[in-house]
Amino acid sequence: MIVPYSHVLVLAAVTFVLGLVCILARRNLVMTLIGIEVMMNGAAIAFIASGLRWHQLEGQAFVLFIIGVAAAEVSVGLALIIGAYRRVGSADSDTYSILKG
Amino acid sequence: MVATPSHDWTLLASVLAVLPPFLSFVTIVLFTRPYPRLSAGLSITAVSFSVMSALMLLLVQGTKGPETYMGTWLISSDVRIPLGFLLDPVSLLMLSIVAVISLLVQVYSVGYMAGDPGFSRYYAFQSLFAGAMLSLSISPSMIQLYVFWELVGLSSYLLIGFWYEKFSATEAGKKAFVMTRLGDICLFLGVLLVLINLGNLNIQELNNPAVAQRLSPGLITLCALLIFGGIVGKSAQFPLLTWLPDAMEGPTPVSALLHSATMVAAGAFLFARLFPFMSLSPTALTVFLTIGTITMVMASTMAVVDRDIKKVWAYSTISQLGYMIMGMGAGGYFAGFFHLTTHAAFKSLLFLCSGVWIHYYETNDLFDIASRQGRRFKIPIICLVLAAASLSGIPPLSGFFSKETVLDALAEGHSPVWLGLGLVGAFFTSYYSFRVVFILLFPKGTEEAHYAHRNSSIPSSEEKGSYWVMAVPLLVLAAIVLVLGFFKRTLTDFLAGPPVPSGRGWIFYASMAFVLCGLGLAWFEFGRKGAGQVGAFEKVRPLRLLFANRWYLDHFYRLLLRVVVYKTFAYLAIRNDRQVIDSGLDAFCGTTVESGRMLSRLQSGLVRNNFLLAFVALALLGLWFYFL
Amino acid sequence: MSVYSVIFYAVSVVIVTATALAITQRNPIHAVVYLVVSFLGSGILFFLLGAPFLAAVEVIIYAGAIMVLFLFVVMMFRIEKVEPKGYPRLQWGPALLCGALFLSLLSLAAFRDPMGRAILETFVVSPADLGRWVFQKYWLSIEGISLLLFLALLAAIHLGRVPREKAREEE
Repeated sequence: MIVPYSHVLVLAAVTFVLGLVCILARRNLVMTLIGIEVMMNGAAIAFIASGLRWHQLEGQAFVLFIIGVAAAEVSVGLALIIGAYRRVGSADSDTYSILKG
Repeated sequence: MVATPSHDWTLLASVLAVLPPFLSFVTIVLFTRPYPRLSAGLSITAVSFSVMSALMLLLVQGTKGPETYMGTWLISSDVRIPLGFLLDPVSLLMLSIVAVISLLVQVYSVGYMAGDPGFSRYYAFQSLFAGAMLSLSISPSMIQLYVFWELVGLSSYLLIGFWYEKFSATEAGKKAFVMTRLGDICLFLGVLLVLINLGNLNIQELNNPAVAQRLSPGLITLCALLIFGGIVGKSAQFPLLTWLPDAMEGPTPVSALLHSATMVAAGAFLFARLFPFMSLSPTALTVFLTIGTITMVMASTMAVVDRDIKKVWAYSTISQLGYMIMGMGAGGYFAGFFHLTTHAAFKSLLFLCSGVWIHYYETNDLFDIASRQGRRFKIPIICLVLAAASLSGIPPLSGFFSKETVLDALAEGHSPVWLGLGLVGAFFTSYYSFRVVFILLFPKGTEEAHYAHRNSSIPSSEEKGSYWVMAVPLLVLAAIVLVLGFFKRTLTDFLAGPPVPSGRGWIFYASMAFVLCGLGLAWFEFGRKGAGQVGAFEKVRPLRLLFANRWYLDHFYRLLLRVVVYKTFAYLAIRNDRQVIDSGLDAFCGTTVESGRMLSRLQSGLVRNNFLLAFVALALLGLWFYFL
Repeated sequence: MSVYSVIFYAVSVVIVTATALAITQRNPIHAVVYLVVSFLGSGILFFLLGAPFLAAVEVIIYAGAIMVLFLFVVMMFRIEKVEPKGYPRLQWGPALLCGALFLSLLSLAAFRDPMGRAILETFVVSPADLGRWVFQKYWLSIEGISLLLFLALLAAIHLGRVPREKAREEE
């Protein structure tokens, strides 16, 4: 007896939305990546809760994959940030606006 | 209509009268442009065929009843428009007049236009005109007549603007075309009205009272007035008369052929052709009479003050056409048509004589020609005096007989006003014709006379050939002028005109009085020794200005053009073009470009804005699919 | 109202607060540290929801490797504080609106669905059972993930290398 399923989903939603806000509101490139991580965390919570609700192991298997993908994506993303920072000299996403207008 | 063997030759003759000039036109335009003499020969041969056929038809066929050949050209429900020939006395007489004068003028042009770079082109247009005018004369239906009416107008435009390098010539051609076009619109409206209401445009049927009276009297009057609109345009009646003096920009033989004898007479011919139809409406006839009278008096006053010899004869033509219309409008159909015939002869003779001096002296000015001793050209001056006398109505020349007939017709009318005005016109006519004669015969100015006497000469021997080519047609025409008057009785029977009323001897004395007054005044002012060579009317300044400015008709037209066309319609059209169409399109394009620019501002170049849009779209999609 | 629900609500408060604090920090290093706290809370949550292995994986890999990687990069390349002080309305306004929209949508979806009323029962999945099951059923995805990690390794090495001219200068 833990909690109703919908409560866990709401928690997952809140976490997801917090990650979303981070992406939309921060100018620092690193913060964008952090926001993505938070979103993935929220998705993972939702998966585990669903697995528990329907007594299926797929929920947990998928979280494994999520974490694996998050790791791969963060390393590549940080490498890209490093490359961009070296070329442009700034980690502010507002300077990357050649496509303006 | 089946052609039986006895009719075969008339069909052949009609085709032979009409077709060769068209063929000659096509051949000259396509093939013989580089060979001037060949073109001239071709054209003259074609017209000779026409002359022979026309005269044969006139003499043999004319005594029999009217003959028609018609093939069908267009059928549309119950309207049949035929194509063919109508051979009855009126058309055959017109055919002969046109053919003979065309031949004489074309022979004359060999001398007049010698050396001109456009020689072949000139003969091409002359052939075109001859073919069109001949076809017009023997058209059996109004549609065919209208087609050739327009074609004749086209040749007139081409020939007036023949020396197209001169701006005034092209302007004159354009003016002629546009003014006659106005008349032609009325004519076409009249023709259409008849077609709609009667279903048939056959001239013989139109002239048949039993058929024509199917229309209501008001409708007949309207149609008659509209058709008369065409006559006003083509025959240069008031108010569309100012194109004819300007048409003198063309070569003199053209003026002799088109603008005195044949083309402008087409209007009077149409009147005679449709006379039974027109006479069904007395109102219309009165209108015609009025317009003819106004024209006659107006034009003869304009001729009184002009110095250009061709312009004098042009105004005279307008005036004499008015005289013809007067005669026919008063009911004297034979009178008008007889005057048309005699006028063709003496007017073309007048123009051709003037042409000899214009060719040799290259000036149109009366006083210039006189001071260079133009009277030394014997044949032209004698023929000129003869023709001028005929124009004034001196017996026993042909002009006298035709004028008398017209005055008789006028005298039969209800009111004596018309006869009075006719007599006044006769006075003016003789005054201005003898003014020209006396100026040319008795040049004033001593020093110029001696100087010119030494320098001008009868043409040298190498020019003798071209001189005789021009002189022979003059002699032929002079002979016709002398003799035609005595054929009045024959022609009356031929055309089935009304019998000549007797007991009108007082008209003869009255007209002779007016004519001799004119002659006397001209003699007094121009002919006798010590005369001032300034006319009575020229001395009165307002009159001189009025007459010289053509009664300010041209000024009126220019004002009308400026106010109605340029200021209103053209102005509105330009405004519409610039502000509605152009700026509408510009606004449309501008809006498109501006909206594109605005849309492009949505791209801030910042990634997080793209994310924002993506997630908002996602949210809305989720909303849509989950809740709706 | 059992012990487990109390634990759940407490842990969820921790997660939410830590995450909220993390996303509003100017300094990326502070944000990372708060985020580590959040992930630790997630780990406890996973344990509660019957996935002990995943809780361990979350703490070790997510909080332990990924966040540390973030710290390495930020500290080594001296990625400065980029944003100005305070929270500009133009930046945060649209983001909060979008977030609110999303949140309302998701919570509405969660609460209206009749499936959501079910109460979760405690259950524990042993790592051995999980492992056996995943490798039996989803072995292909495991292979895929390993390939992905390998490629990510290659990409990171390549993208992060120093250009030759600069390397010569630095030497």
